[in-house]
Amino acid sequence: MQEVAVVGVGLHRFGKAGDAIVGNKSVTELCRHAVDMALQDAGISWRQVQAVSAASSRFSGGKGWGLNGNDVVEDLGSTGVPVYNLSAGCAAGGNAFNVGWSLVAGGVYDVVLVVGGEVMPKGMIQTAGTEEVTDPEFLRQRCVGIPGPAFWSMLARRRMHEFGTTEEQMATVTVKARRCSVGNPFARFQQAITLGDVLNSPYVSNPLRLFEICPVSNGAAAAILCSPQKARQFTGKPVWVAASAVATLGFDDSLPRNLAGPVPTGPSYHTEVMGAVRKAFERAGIGPRELSFTELQDNTCYYELAYPEEWGLCEPGEAEHLVEAGETAPTGRMPINPSGGFVSFGEATTAMGVFQIAEVTWQLRGQSGARQVPDASVALAQTNGLGGNATAAILKR
Amino acid sequence: MSESVAPAVAGLFVADEHGVRVLGAKCEACGTPYFPSVPVCHNPACPGSRMQPCGFGGRGVVWSYSIANFAPPPPHKYDQPFRPYAIAVVDLASGLRLVGQMVDPPEAVTVGAAVELVIDTLYHEQGKAFTTWKFKLV
Ligand SMILES: [Zn+2]
Repeated sequence: MQEVAVVGVGLHRFGKAGDAIVGNKSVTELCRHAVDMALQDAGISWRQVQAVSAASSRFSGGKGWGLNGNDVVEDLGSTGVPVYNLSAGCAAGGNAFNVGWSLVAGGVYDVVLVVGGEVMPKGMIQTAGTEEVTDPEFLRQRCVGIPGPAFWSMLARRRMHEFGTTEEQMATVTVKARRCSVGNPFARFQQAITLGDVLNSPYVSNPLRLFEICPVSNGAAAAILCSPQKARQFTGKPVWVAASAVATLGFDDSLPRNLAGPVPTGPSYHTEVMGAVRKAFERAGIGPRELSFTELQDNTCYYELAYPEEWGLCEPGEAEHLVEAGETAPTGRMPINPSGGFVSFGEATTAMGVFQIAEVTWQLRGQSGARQVPDASVALAQTNGLGGNATAAILKR
Repeated sequence: MSESVAPAVAGLFVADEHGVRVLGAKCEACGTPYFPSVPVCHNPACPGSRMQPCGFGGRGVVWSYSIANFAPPPPHKYDQPFRPYAIAVVDLASGLRLVGQMVDPPEAVTVGAAVELVIDTLYHEQGKAFTTWKFKLV
């Protein structure tokens, strides 16, 4: 195995279909913008890319078959490069990064493009849509009726029961996230909001409110990964991948993802996420308290409270106090999502894992302006997605 | 005239002299409960799948819950006008952690509350009441 460097990153600012940011741009147009930016950042040309690892979308482009990487290659110029299209729900971008990393680390290629982009459908995302009684998701929706955010609100409600978390404390997480997004040129929302704004927004799934749940967005992200030898040719300041890990959930996972499961004997948490994050810490030889900051998947404010505790970044039940004390802000002792996170960007599902790599890279280079984590030297990026997929990457200077 | 009644999906639950149960399966080799039923045990530590049909009912405790403040998209069906409902995750004494709607109004539901499995109407269509399993505070 050889070291892997991130030498270039790019984003298309996130927005809502039809707005002034993304308008009616296709996923291919969004990706082209992000890839051009990443190539320019790396100082290389498209023809130097030896392979493409692409997050594949079920929503848009990809010829209806999730062949989003092929769309990108056609658009940039068909050089005949191998393309890996990867599907893992909201973890697809993280998966694409992991496969890109594996290809370079294993010495198969020297220069790999990782890309993810999304044009999301309007409104609540529907499941498969088939009315098959053999489809567990159909049964969940027909027999119970579980809107997407209900899963998150079940977890939030349980945390309120276990730790006495208040709705004000959860709202404070969102206020912090939106404050980070001010001045981030790539965030969809770039304005701070108040505690009152959050608490006055309607419940989407009580106890979670509209401003506490990330909306869907359109956007794209790209990263160029390189072998050490190539990296030294391209840039004087590469960012290094200390670890990249992927995991799926364990049989002992007892979160209410399906209609039913065994009553657990231990605690209930995201086992796929724990699996990926633990592996990343082990492989990097870096402990959870050594991180300069973390970019984690905050589909809702709950995760900014639960994940740092589950991963050992802080003690169980401590997260609310750290948030209130400002310790999760970029200048705090446990910065979480200095980018503004999913709550400020909205979720362009397959782009998210790559968007995190872009933010981490800029932070580690010291290029993040007002949201810069002082002297950032090592950071964790984490995604999870439908099907029990999770990814974790640790990057360092 | 009594309303005609049918299950929203046939074969998933039953109410008889033994009470209300959802119809799943249990692996006799490792004890893992399943609902709906699966043909083969999914437990990677199972010494060898031995699936038997098994019903799960009775009482349980609310592990957590959420409230559907807005109607879920199809294929969910509901009566107009939409009324918010609680969705409970219940740890049944019979060993199954089961998700279902609450009969009771959302404000009445709490984590840790004792509930029992019941059959209740989910929606009406063409003069028929379609039913599903739900939980009710005891
Ligand atoms: Zn078994």
